[in-house]
Amino acid sequence: MRFVTSLPGYPALMLRGIVIALSLAATALVLAACGSGASSNARVTLTWFIFNEPSGGPQKVAKRCSEQSNGAYEIKFEYLPSQADQQREQLVRRLGAEDDSLDLLGMDVVWTGEFANAGWLAPVPEKTARVVSDQVFDSVLQTARFEDRLYTIPIWSNTQFLWYRKDRTPTPPKTWDEMIDEAEKLGPSKGRIQVQANRYEGLVVLVNQLIESAGTSILAAPKEIDLQREPTERALGILGRLSRSPIAASNITTSTEDTARLGFESGNSAFMINYSFVYPSAKANAPKIFEQMRAAKYPQVDPSIPSKPPIGGINIGVSAYSKHQQEAFAATECLVKPDNQLEIAKLGGLPPVRADIYDRPEIQDAYPGFAEIVRESIKDAAPRPSQSPAYQDLSLAISRAVHPTTAIDPKNLGAAYDKLRDAVQKAIDRKGLL
Amino acid sequence: MTAIPIGKRSKKAPASDKTKAERKLGLMLCAPAVVAMLLVTVYPILYAVALSVQKVDLRFPEESGFVGLANYKAVLTSDLWWQGVFNTSLIAVVSVSIELVLGMGLALVMHRAIFGRGVVRTAVLIPYGVVTVVAAFAWFFAFDPSSGFVNNLPFVPDDKAWFGGHNSSLSVIIMAEVWKTTPFMGLLLLAGLATIDEGLYEAARVDGATAWQRFWRITLPLLKPALLVALLFRTLDAFRVFDSIFVMTRGAQDTESVSILGYNQLISRLNLGLGSAVSVLIFVLVLLIAFVFVRILGTSNPASQGERS
Amino acid sequence: MNRAPRDYLKWTVGIIVVVFIAVLPLVWIFSLSLKTPATVSDKSFFPKEFTLDNYSTLFQGGFDSPLLRPLINSVSIALIATVIAVTLASFTAYAIARLDFPGKSAILAGALAIAMFPQISVVGPLFDMWRALHLYDTYPGLIIPYLTFSLPLAIYILVAFFREIPWELEQAAQVDGATPWQAFSKVILPLAAPGVFTAAILVFIFAWNDFIFAITLTSSDASRTVPAALAFFQGDSQFTAPTGNIAAAAVLVTIPIIIFVLIFQRRIVAGLTAGAVKG
Repeated sequence: MRFVTSLPGYPALMLRGIVIALSLAATALVLAACGSGASSNARVTLTWFIFNEPSGGPQKVAKRCSEQSNGAYEIKFEYLPSQADQQREQLVRRLGAEDDSLDLLGMDVVWTGEFANAGWLAPVPEKTARVVSDQVFDSVLQTARFEDRLYTIPIWSNTQFLWYRKDRTPTPPKTWDEMIDEAEKLGPSKGRIQVQANRYEGLVVLVNQLIESAGTSILAAPKEIDLQREPTERALGILGRLSRSPIAASNITTSTEDTARLGFESGNSAFMINYSFVYPSAKANAPKIFEQMRAAKYPQVDPSIPSKPPIGGINIGVSAYSKHQQEAFAATECLVKPDNQLEIAKLGGLPPVRADIYDRPEIQDAYPGFAEIVRESIKDAAPRPSQSPAYQDLSLAISRAVHPTTAIDPKNLGAAYDKLRDAVQKAIDRKGLL
Repeated sequence: MTAIPIGKRSKKAPASDKTKAERKLGLMLCAPAVVAMLLVTVYPILYAVALSVQKVDLRFPEESGFVGLANYKAVLTSDLWWQGVFNTSLIAVVSVSIELVLGMGLALVMHRAIFGRGVVRTAVLIPYGVVTVVAAFAWFFAFDPSSGFVNNLPFVPDDKAWFGGHNSSLSVIIMAEVWKTTPFMGLLLLAGLATIDEGLYEAARVDGATAWQRFWRITLPLLKPALLVALLFRTLDAFRVFDSIFVMTRGAQDTESVSILGYNQLISRLNLGLGSAVSVLIFVLVLLIAFVFVRILGTSNPASQGERS
Repeated sequence: MNRAPRDYLKWTVGIIVVVFIAVLPLVWIFSLSLKTPATVSDKSFFPKEFTLDNYSTLFQGGFDSPLLRPLINSVSIALIATVIAVTLASFTAYAIARLDFPGKSAILAGALAIAMFPQISVVGPLFDMWRALHLYDTYPGLIIPYLTFSLPLAIYILVAFFREIPWELEQAAQVDGATPWQAFSKVILPLAAPGVFTAAILVFIFAWNDFIFAITLTSSDASRTVPAALAFFQGDSQFTAPTGNIAAAAVLVTIPIIIFVLIFQRRIVAGLTAGAVKG
């Protein structure tokens, strides 16, 4: 009350301030809205959301296709994070928001069911489907389909190998048990086995491949559990034995593709399950180890059943909200042409999805001495249970159920089996927190 | 004070007009901020409550509808939720306790500084200002067995996988929290110390009180308001812990905090119904903690000092 | 006094310990950012081979580079959020400090309560609302949620500062013949400016620090800020951890904070402790 006398000057001043503040906010809004404006070019701009493949392969073939389209379209890139689950989060958020700025989606092979079921993908038209599935491995096509319809277009694949050191084991072991036996003979200073067992997608890959190699599957149908008890327990037994052995990496419960690579490059390991990116990396960072490094096919669980390596890579989806679906499908037909697949393989070591490309001599540049193993691995590969539209829940549940793998007791596999089965069942029903 | 014209009747009417004008101006000036705060917090919370009683999963757009308290039941019957509540409380209680002791030490030392108070102040402000994610990465890389220097130190096993176990992961997370926020605690307590009359200590010294007695009998009781405010701020802040866990373990080894759980349901699974139930429950928990603190704070609640006659 | 030298020694040791602990993680991340890819996992505290590649790759490719856009976003978003919050908060704080009206304490208490709000509680609804309002992955989409912490913080600090201003001076100036505008700009503004500035610094630091809104409400470089970008960096291959690049970016976002702290430490301390101990 005591200052009331001096008030009259203020209201106007303060109100002016409010106006200034509000107009600042409005300016910010307008600026942001203008930032996302469309290009003034007459030709259609297709935006491809994909992680930034460091080799530049996708960019190179996209440029090539844009030029060959005679002005029909131009492909522009928008980059996603490097980790698969973060890529998915970014895409899903935009698609959930029915964002029409996405045309082409660089999708991990396990997202097809989820995206297609949610109505985010335009189904691949008959004509395009015929062109883009010609000569493509069956295992790869499985990952591109949902309910018997092709929803995505595979562009490159990926798979894991058994990397071993020739100086420590002249011939690679055929099965997991043989490998652990040999490693234990070499001891923890020379014979470590590097895998991926942190609580993330990499662990789901490991578990799935062990289960598939043992002769069963996680799902029989999108909403039907498979997991036959005997082979599943056998698979879990290997995981438990490996994790509890002194030759497991000391950081096995936090191991990823990259910690496995670093472990192998540090010299204490004889074996590693990993993708092919470890090969150029060793060449650059650990040349002596690189000389001894060889690739073999993924180990078997049951000596009478061929091993089932994992399958990764990228399928291209066309967004259901895209305004340029016709051009987008035309672009995918171009992007996956054999020459372009070969280019991507040469630049970044990313394996082609067409079987016939492995007959071409240039493929040896990408996989010196192991091109045949790449072909064999992808041919025999078994996808993760990605036909389920709730794959993300399934993946979280599986990794949660088996992590930490050191808790799997090879003498009491029933408990580990029940835990896994229960988790998978709940995930298919989409019940509870994850 | 001096110029208040209560005495004269003739001026009473304009005075009350002025009071009215003052009230109107006061409310007008507060309106933009108040409206903004309500819009960005109260409205979303109500929205969350609405989502939490429905089935909303962006991945399954065709399935939707009112489900009552089913989402809450799913959360409250889940071991994961209670593990999250336990982890969050543990992180909050342990880190705030450590910060309290260290912060008190820091404040006492700075208060009695002979020289270099500025140096210490600058040094402790740096952790406080550093982006939490950056601090989390620094600690993560330090303890990560494939790149960190910690395993290279004497007495530390070379291949200790810090983020491979529940306890060791939580320890590193708490350490990062303590490193970052002890300065805040220390500075608040230092400001509290500055308000204590030095004469009290002199008198106590004359009466033969030991340093320990002076601390317990004078410093602590007089510091109580500042102490409680600092504790309230930090406890509620610690209860929101998210960044460090996201960077270091992403919740593996059962280190999920309630915020991480909320993120997983909302953003990873896009299950907005279930996730909103988690959000609302976290909000209720925070309200409960605040309520308990305000009860203890009683009249020393800083907000009650806002009134000024 | 003969115990003075011992006190000096104790104090010196104390300073060294505090400074050492405070800067250790930062020195570590700086040294990590200088390591070459081959030595990044050598586990030594100091680099054995130096390189600046980790920094230069962050800016390779201009606007498509990993850090440039996020850096611009971070600075712009934090600045705009600061200006808006401090402006709105100044009115409120002025009213609370100077005027008499009902609901003052409720506003202050409410602001305090909102400052302690768990952000995750509003992330879900905001995500859903922003999808509908097309604010998802835009500047305003982040600036608006930042008001949840920036407004209460600014109000709280400004109220504490404004209460200390001797408003009578303004009256005196007017008595001496100054116009209201002169009285305001020549007398009150210089007195209020330090408080406003302090609030601005702290709000900026808080906005700069945000992670949870930034990772949930953005999805591309159009509005992603540095803390979120940091968590999404990418290495030499899809599977390689970009340790060196993260470390380099971490150093770069820490520099402004260190500059602030070095120049404005008194103000930051005053702002942080404002209101906590005084009326």
